[in-house]
Amino acid sequence: MSRFHYPLKGHRRINRSSCLPRGCILRFLIAMADYDRRQPGGGGGGGYNSRKRRYRGKRRDRRLANGAVTDDDDYDRRPQRRRYDAPAHVRIRKQLLGLAESPLRRWHEDVQSIAQLIADGHDDQELQTTFLDLVPQMVIEQPLKIPFVAAVVLVVNSLKPELLDALLARITSTTEQRAKEGEWRDVKLYLKFLACLQSCLEGDGLFSVLEELFSRAVDLQTASSDDTIGTELVKIILLTIPYILAAAPSTQSQQKAAELMDKTDIIASEPHALQVLIDPYHTESGTESPAANMSLIGLLQKQLQNEAASGWSLSCLPRPWRMPLEEIEQQEKLDNAKKHTLPTISLPEKVTAGPRPLFPEIYFSVYIHQDVESVPTVNNIASSIIRDALLDTINVLHFNRNVTARFLIDADCYFAPGTFIKRATPFDRLREVDGDRSSWKPEDVAVDAVFSQLFQLPTPEHKLVYYHSVLTEACKIAPAAIAPSLGRAIRYCYQNSHCLDLELNYRFLDWFTHHLSNFGFMWKWTEWVEDVNLPDKHPYKSFILGALDKEIRLSFAQRIKGTLPEPYQALIGPEKEQDTPEFKFNNEHTPFSAEGKELAALLKRKATDEEIQPVIDHIHSAALDQAIDPLVTSTDIFMTAVCWVGSKSLSHVLACIERTKDRLLDAGAASEAARAQIITAVMNYWSSHPGVAISIIEKLLNYSIVTPNAVIDWALVSDRAGPYGQALSKAWVFELVFNTVVKVTSRLRQVVKGGVPEGLQEEITAMRELFKIMDDALVSWAQGTKDQLMDPVVSDGGEDLVKRWGERWLRVFRRRSAIEEAFLNENQTLVESA
Amino acid sequence: MRPGPRSTVDRLDQPSAYYHNRNNKRRRNDHGRDGKDGSKDGDTEMTDAKPEEPPEDPLKNATTLYVGNLSFYTTEEQVYELFSKCGEIKRLVMGLDRFQKTPCGFCFVEYYTHQDALDCMKYIGGTKLDERVIRTDLDPGFEEGRQYGRGKSGGQVRDEYRDDFDEGRGGLGRAIQAERMREAERNRERDGHHEDDYGRLR
Repeated sequence: MSRFHYPLKGHRRINRSSCLPRGCILRFLIAMADYDRRQPGGGGGGGYNSRKRRYRGKRRDRRLANGAVTDDDDYDRRPQRRRYDAPAHVRIRKQLLGLAESPLRRWHEDVQSIAQLIADGHDDQELQTTFLDLVPQMVIEQPLKIPFVAAVVLVVNSLKPELLDALLARITSTTEQRAKEGEWRDVKLYLKFLACLQSCLEGDGLFSVLEELFSRAVDLQTASSDDTIGTELVKIILLTIPYILAAAPSTQSQQKAAELMDKTDIIASEPHALQVLIDPYHTESGTESPAANMSLIGLLQKQLQNEAASGWSLSCLPRPWRMPLEEIEQQEKLDNAKKHTLPTISLPEKVTAGPRPLFPEIYFSVYIHQDVESVPTVNNIASSIIRDALLDTINVLHFNRNVTARFLIDADCYFAPGTFIKRATPFDRLREVDGDRSSWKPEDVAVDAVFSQLFQLPTPEHKLVYYHSVLTEACKIAPAAIAPSLGRAIRYCYQNSHCLDLELNYRFLDWFTHHLSNFGFMWKWTEWVEDVNLPDKHPYKSFILGALDKEIRLSFAQRIKGTLPEPYQALIGPEKEQDTPEFKFNNEHTPFSAEGKELAALLKRKATDEEIQPVIDHIHSAALDQAIDPLVTSTDIFMTAVCWVGSKSLSHVLACIERTKDRLLDAGAASEAARAQIITAVMNYWSSHPGVAISIIEKLLNYSIVTPNAVIDWALVSDRAGPYGQALSKAWVFELVFNTVVKVTSRLRQVVKGGVPEGLQEEITAMRELFKIMDDALVSWAQGTKDQLMDPVVSDGGEDLVKRWGERWLRVFRRRSAIEEAFLNENQTLVESA
Repeated sequence: MRPGPRSTVDRLDQPSAYYHNRNNKRRRNDHGRDGKDGSKDGDTEMTDAKPEEPPEDPLKNATTLYVGNLSFYTTEEQVYELFSKCGEIKRLVMGLDRFQKTPCGFCFVEYYTHQDALDCMKYIGGTKLDERVIRTDLDPGFEEGRQYGRGKSGGQVRDEYRDDFDEGRGGLGRAIQAERMREAERNRERDGHHEDDYGRLR
């Protein structure tokens, strides 16, 4: 059996055909599990593709339960072998990664035992390498554990102070490197870690770094009022200060902090020029946005001032470096441990914004308007500290949503005891909480953080679907805790759907339906039942209609109908349950019925162009006789026939378009009316399934059969997408237009990133023209000068609603336009050379 | 696949063991990729098997995903609706029963960029489509012929001997269904004789 003992390198793979008896293999696996536990703790979420983890997990449970290694083979009566012990560096890795995960909160015990292992192994090269590599990595990958990792380091310092020199050097040089790259989040996290080490730093410690950061911020802000890097630096400073004061609450620190905050006040309190652009709310003129005074750094500044006034209690921050009374010896050692000089962190000459454009941030919460405090109020520094740590966790761990969700569920483990109320406490019970105890629901705080990303303008760091998936996983892990919180978040968003930014409204719709699709489409529709009778143009009704359509797209009409109360049934007509819409030319009474059927038959048997042309010619002459546009007529019949022939699936229609693309290209190029007719034909044929129509239009855009301008014109200028401005209230029209604009702008960005000036100018001109067309159309809707809107005959009292939709659309696309212009501005050199 | 130190938590955008095992161990030259046909234990033990440093990782720039555990009733439009959330879809190939040419529970989704495919692994794999948890796996790319199931009866191999009743995938495994049908037939015949005999005796 000796071959199964350490070292095991090269033995990862276990061959099923091994001739060893079963018991041996099992024990071997157990030893392997100890040696090679890839992701000990770490939030506990493995990849769903990894089967081995699950297997190991089972093994581990068995061992824990019995206290010794026993396995299935009860018949194996040979004496049990001593359990194999993993080498120290493996144990260190496992323990460090699992730090603070246990809800038992034996912080000081965990911290001390790990520190002891590290100090004892000071001459174990492998162990020290693990320690040096893992600490900085944990700081940026598992931000919630920063204070705990720092506590380990502080205890190590009290045992073996010389081990800190290499670590501090590593951290400071990495921070420098990250600053150079403009990776400001990493800089923030390293500084946060160093802040927790303040008590073992000599002199001013981290304050001198913050001073340096501030002087940079001032330079940037004085140079330009649009500057966003300076704002980001101030944010980093303000978020680091509380950690310093929690780690080293001396009067000297308080003094330093006060000085620094005096200076940041000018930058932090001044509303940023770009703030109006990214306000998540778009209230009607005359009413103030609920987020008007919610600038993140503005709030931070005030919260810190409040905190300073109350003696820096910073009660939400964990202080794992504080030993309990019975550990007085260790506490003394900590207090008298050696102090180190912090190596200088020099900032680059020219700071950059990094890979992602920076914007000022607004604090967004779906729970702050409640009568009971289920999340910290914006006066409390806890709101910023907790949100910041959760957001970093969410955005850093995009590569494993299961772990992200686990961290969110366990959020209360990483803050001071008493910060939150017990998990899964129902909202109604919060009222009964004693005055001096916290009523913050950990699941509300977690959900709020994810929502703030879903509702981040202009765009969050990752694709929106990532945030969807985090909420899905969180809901899977702890449905009883998370689902009611989501319910209240949904209600808040629905109730505010008239004053949210329209783009965010669409994001909400998209998330809501995607989320329901993961949970059996269950929603308490009864509570919105009264809104079913509102006019379709009303924001609530528009949301309901949009949601049902999206649900059907992810499922099918009959299924969704089954989830709805009676009053909603009428919203899903029989045409929605029909997979293949009727071909209108099958009806004898439709003009050109015979030609339509003939074209469809030809397309079905993949007839040649020569066979098709005579039918088209015939249509043209007949149309001329009836004094209607021949090309529009033939285009309608042809495109409708293509849709019908390809109605079996998207592949079918795409194949059919591929075969007929030359004819369609010619038709599209011939006249604006014909181009519009292509879109109309597709939209009319799939009117009950707009999702399919949108997919087809997207492909037609790729083929350049229709142009982006034609799509915009079709949707916003003509009233083909819905009469009298009704188009503006339809979610699928927004989706169509939004997707088209994104297609154009991302293409332009691609060209710019490609760095080739040829053709760039044309792309830029085209994009600007597109935005101009939209602006013109939307302004006339928003101001009520649009002909259709002014026509008193068709007036149904909904003009104000339409104007409001127009305003909301306008804001979304003006912002889009501004952001693209800013992007071009950043790449000015290339643009000018074009 | 990814340079740099290993993360402190697993990544969801890694190819599954299936791909590596297939490449590493069997080197079969057949089409499709549906067969987790080996016994469960075998797969478990080999999860960590790494290919012996191939010269070029064929998944390095993969834009295609294999999508498994779909319902037979899930349509292309539904797949589009969900998978477009990670980026524009370049091509979608539905997996078909080799004989009946009907969907048999898998498909290939091709994106325009590698990043979109990785994001899909991270954000969509393991979530639900049509109320089933679907599986995604990076794939070196679709080739003609791979759209067909490799099972004996034309569907996916996993649907041959499946002994759980899965309504979305045609009930029991087909081989088992066929076996049960034969058995029922035999029973009926036998019972039939019985009754006849019984009647005769009376």
